[in-house]
This record gives sequence, C-alpha cells and structure tokens, in this order.
Amino acid sequence: MARTWDRLTIPGKALFVLIPLLAVLTAGLIITIALFGQQILDILIFNLPIVRFVLAATVLLLLAPPIAFVIIYMEMKIIALMNLRIGPDRVGPWGSLLSTVHGLKVLMKEDFTPTRADAVVFTWAPVVVFAAAALSALVLPFAPGLYGQDFNLGLLYFFAIGGMTVVGLLMGGWSSFNKYSLLGGLRSAAQIISYEIPLTLSVVGLVLLAGTLSLNTIVVQQGAVYDAAGNLVRGGWFLDWYAFRQPLGFLIFAIAATAEANRTPFDLTEADSEIVAGFATEYSGMRFGFFFFAEYINVFIISAITTVLFLGGWNAPFPAPHISWIINPGAFGIGLLFLVALVPLIGTLVLAAPFYLFRSNTRWWVALILGFLLFNVIAGGLITLWAYINFDWVAGLVWFMGKTFGLVFLFVWMRGTLPRVRIDQLMSFAWKWLLPASLLNLFVTALAIVVIDALRHPR
Amino acid sequence: MSLLSGLVPGLGIAKGMALTLRRFFAPKATVMYPEMPADVATKFRGRLQLLYDEYGALKCETCFQCAQACPIECIDMGGVDTRGRFHVHWGAPETYGERREESAMRRSGRTVPDQAYEHFASFDLTTLDEILDGYDHDPKRMLQMLEATQAAFGYLPVAAIKRISEKTGAWYATIYGTASYYGHLRFEPPSNTAQAGEVSARRASDETYLAALGASLGGRPGGDA
Repeated sequence: MARTWDRLTIPGKALFVLIPLLAVLTAGLIITIALFGQQILDILIFNLPIVRFVLAATVLLLLAPPIAFVIIYMEMKIIALMNLRIGPDRVGPWGSLLSTVHGLKVLMKEDFTPTRADAVVFTWAPVVVFAAAALSALVLPFAPGLYGQDFNLGLLYFFAIGGMTVVGLLMGGWSSFNKYSLLGGLRSAAQIISYEIPLTLSVVGLVLLAGTLSLNTIVVQQGAVYDAAGNLVRGGWFLDWYAFRQPLGFLIFAIAATAEANRTPFDLTEADSEIVAGFATEYSGMRFGFFFFAEYINVFIISAITTVLFLGGWNAPFPAPHISWIINPGAFGIGLLFLVALVPLIGTLVLAAPFYLFRSNTRWWVALILGFLLFNVIAGGLITLWAYINFDWVAGLVWFMGKTFGLVFLFVWMRGTLPRVRIDQLMSFAWKWLLPASLLNLFVTALAIVVIDALRHPR
Repeated sequence: MSLLSGLVPGLGIAKGMALTLRRFFAPKATVMYPEMPADVATKFRGRLQLLYDEYGALKCETCFQCAQACPIECIDMGGVDTRGRFHVHWGAPETYGERREESAMRRSGRTVPDQAYEHFASFDLTTLDEILDGYDHDPKRMLQMLEATQAAFGYLPVAAIKRISEKTGAWYATIYGTASYYGHLRFEPPSNTAQAGEVSARRASDETYLAALGASLGGRPGGDA
C-alpha cells in the first residue's frame, strides 16, 4: 500500500485524494438537499437580503477581472489607434486576449515584500483598494431588477465605499517602508480627498431634484412613465436625463470623477513617468496587479455612476415602441424538437447554397463553413432581438452597458489626448474653481426649486 | 482664432480631442513587417555586400561584373586584384573623385591619403600610342594590343591599361578582365629577362597561335569586349 502510494506522481496523489473527496461531498450534498432541502430554502428565503448581498458581492468580484481585462484591452487598442499604430494584434482575435496574458504574466512574477515593511498592512492594502472599487458596484442598477441592493442610501453608500480607496492607498504608501511611497500615498490621498468634495457637492443639486438617494429611483425618474396597460404616459426622451437638468453639475461631476478615478489629465497618483507609480513603488507581482485591477474597475464604476446619475441609466434615449411579440417555446410541442434539430441544418444548407452555386471557385466545404457562420450571425441577431424586445432587463442592460462603455471610451480618449496637469494646478483647480462652482450649482438648484414651488402653490 | 481660444475655456481641449478622434479613424502607419514585406521599387536589390566563403576568404574576385551590370552605375568599388597585388577600381569618376576628396575622407573617418603619394610610376606614353595606332585603336583586337604592350614594357602597367581604355573606348574593367584571363599577360615587372622574352617568343607565329587560341575558345579569338 505504502509502495503504491510512493509510486504515484504528485498530480496522481492529488487526484487520488480529490476524487473520493468530491464523490463523498457530492453525495452528501444530494442527501442534504433531499432531506432538508425545504428547510434550507425556507431559511434562505427568510434571509433573502443577506443571500442577495452575498450572491451579488460574489458575482461582482467574479465579474470584476473580466471587466478590467476588457477596459485594459480597450485602452491599449484605442490609444494605439489614436497614435496611428495598430496596437495589440497577436494574442486572440485582434489581440483581445493580450490583457489576459498580461494578467497571467503579473501572476507569475515574484511577489516581493521589502525588508522591514509592515507585512500585514502591505498585503491588505491592495485588497482594500480592490474591495472598495468592486463593492461600490453593489448599489448600481444595471437594468430593471438587475442590481445588488436597492436601498434609500445608495448614493451615500457608493461615495462612502468609494472613499475607502484612500485608506487602501495610504496603507500601501505607509507600509512600504519607503519615503517615496509614503509621499506618493499622501499625494494621492490629498488629490482624491480634494476632489471628493466637489464630486459629492455636485450631486447634491441632483439629489434635491430627485428627492431620494436611491440610485434605482433616480434612474426610474429619468425614464418613461407607463400606465397599468403598458401605454406611454409621458417622457421617455433623453431630454429627461439629469444631464440636461443639471448641466453644470454634470460637468463638475465628470471632471471630479476623472480625478477620483486617477485618470489623465489627473493621474498624478500613478504618474509612472515622474514618480514611478507613487504609492505602488514597492509593489510587485499580483499585489501590484490588484492596484491596477482596482484602477480599471474604478473607471468602469465611475462611468457607470455617471450613466446612472446623469445619463438615464438603463433607459433608452427614445420612447420604446411597445411591441408584444412573445413566442412561447412550449407552444410548439414536439415540433420544438424538430425545430432545434433541423433549423440549423437547413439554415446552413440554404445559406451555403448561394456561395456554392454562384461562385464557381468556392469549394463545397468552404461554402458550408460560410453558410454556418452566416446562419450563426443571423440566428444570434434574431435571438438577441427577441430577448431585447421581450425582456426589460436585456434591453436595459444593452443601453446601460452601451452608455457606460461610451464613457469608458471617453476616458480612454482623454488619456490619448491630454497631458498630465501639475500638482499645484490640480489642487488650485479643485479648490478655486470646482468647489465654488459646485456650491453655485447647489444654491441655484435650491433657489429654483423654492421659486418654482412658490409659483405653483401660491399662498 | 487666437482671441477666441483665449476667451472660450476648453477650446484647446476640444481641438485636441478632435485631432485624436481624426487620428483614430486615419490609416495607420504601422508596417506589419514579417508578414507584409516593405513596398520597394522593383529595381531595388537591397544592401550591397561582399560574401565570404566557408574558409573566411572574400568570394569577390574583383571581376567588376556587378559594377558593369549595374543599370544606374551606382556601384563604386575598388580593391586589389585576385593575386592581391594591384589596386583596381571601378566607378563613376566623379563619384570616385568626390569620395576621395580630403574632406570626404575625413568626414567618413578614414585615413586621409598623402596627396604627394603616387600610386603608379609614370612612364612614356609615346611607345604605347604607336602600338595603339598600329592596331587602329580597335578594341576588337585587344589581345594583340595587350600582347604588344607587354612586349614593349615587359608587363602591363596600370597606367598603360588606363591609356588603352582611354584611346579605344573599352572599359578599364573589360581590359583588365581580358588581361587577367590569359596566363601569359602579367601586371608586374618580370623578374628576369628570360621571362620577359617569353611573350615575344610565343608570338613568333601570330596567326597559328591565334588560330589555336580561337579553337580553344570556340572559334572566338579572344580580346573582344
């Protein structure tokens, strides 16, 4: 027995342990569900908010790296195109897997902790920064019914959790045992705290108009109003968005958000050409990677919150024509089976026929491949259209993601264009211009509300 | 415009953003080199380079064929002959002269030659001119001319070959090639008089010698360009 065990390779030993363990655990899970399934379900339903929170947090943490990868790829590609270069084009289609490869590369690098650094704080700093970025997405309404939590302090929660980034940056800067890191950390803390004030104040005017801090409600207020029968009552056009009711607030928010997300022209926190990444000087490997993940998640989050607050969230920019075109797959009966089996085949053949018949130099298998691809494109398009029309949340997600990634493009575009400002310019702009402007916006909004209220309800 | 840009805040930013957006859609400057070879003229032959054989010796035999074939006469080459004795040169005189100018040499970091130094001993050209007159400056009778020259001087001085080239209109390289083809023509003074008399001895029966030579060359008496 011992000799047989010794002969196994290390993967063999791992499998030898894991497979029985998995089998036992699966059997146990099935038995537990069979015996106590109802009770567990009851407990889960009873604690639905907690379940929802855990589920949403897990989903967001899982979704964060892919979103960051997409944005990193966008940044590389778009800036390259703006520099008259081609950019990444080797790994994956149009180089789209390059950021994934970058992530793997970072994972393989040495994870170094400097001597006499505060190891615990040093390790937790990227976690705090990443968690602050990822968890602030909990309150974002992605689509009707598709949000982590909807509570009436959503906006406050967002700014509070987002402000935790500063703690993480200071932790990283302080624990590195390096005076330059410390200076970098303090510098980025100064920048982010300075811009947090106009950022928050510029939203107060909007909050006065909306009368709520719930992000979901704010989005609903910017959309169309339907009656019980599903007919459009009023609104639905993009002019209802808060960007048109709070233009100054929108402008201030956009500028302050750029600084908040450490994006060009306010990326002094990183400033790799001047201060070698500031607070992150001593970081390497995946801990450094997490700072950068957090930065790109932040770009997404900031774009998303701008979309939610000012650009109508998941609302389409025009009133959606109400179409009830519902196909119930169950209505086909046994025909559904034939449909699923035969339609791809027939579609492929029908679409391949023109290529084969009218282009004499196309071989039959090339024509078949072309037909199959064409069928997939058409079927995928039709299914997407069907989902868009029938499901509110699909349509909402399409518009929300479209607007958000439009803003991400804007951020990247700005990075491809604008040079970095100086630290004194950055600070004086925040305190001398943005803060008075946001206060002005707040006062004018409050005054307008009071005056309009007085005109509508004269004493 | 400058007044306007001073008055409107953010106009410069808008201009810059517009520029990058135009660049975004503009054709790209990247050359996908290994997959897409660079677009060059059809006449392009790449960099001129002398090759070495497997023993590390230069393969170039200074035959000047490349220089003669060059359609735009851009090849300017110089070196020593196959036996490593004499300086030979091919190239447009003006280019050559330009490159040999003192300032050009200095700029390119080469040693500046001593202007007073003379490569080849000057010699009396009247003998040579008489020989050439005798053959009517006909380049088709090059071998006879060269043999007569060698008979007169004992060898073929570079200055003589230059003179022949000048008078007959044949290229220096051609004459050099012709001369280097035949073993009995030499480019250095003979070491003794017996050697010097060799050519004259062999030229005793000019016609039979040429006929034999022509037969060995496939009915083509040598020397024509």
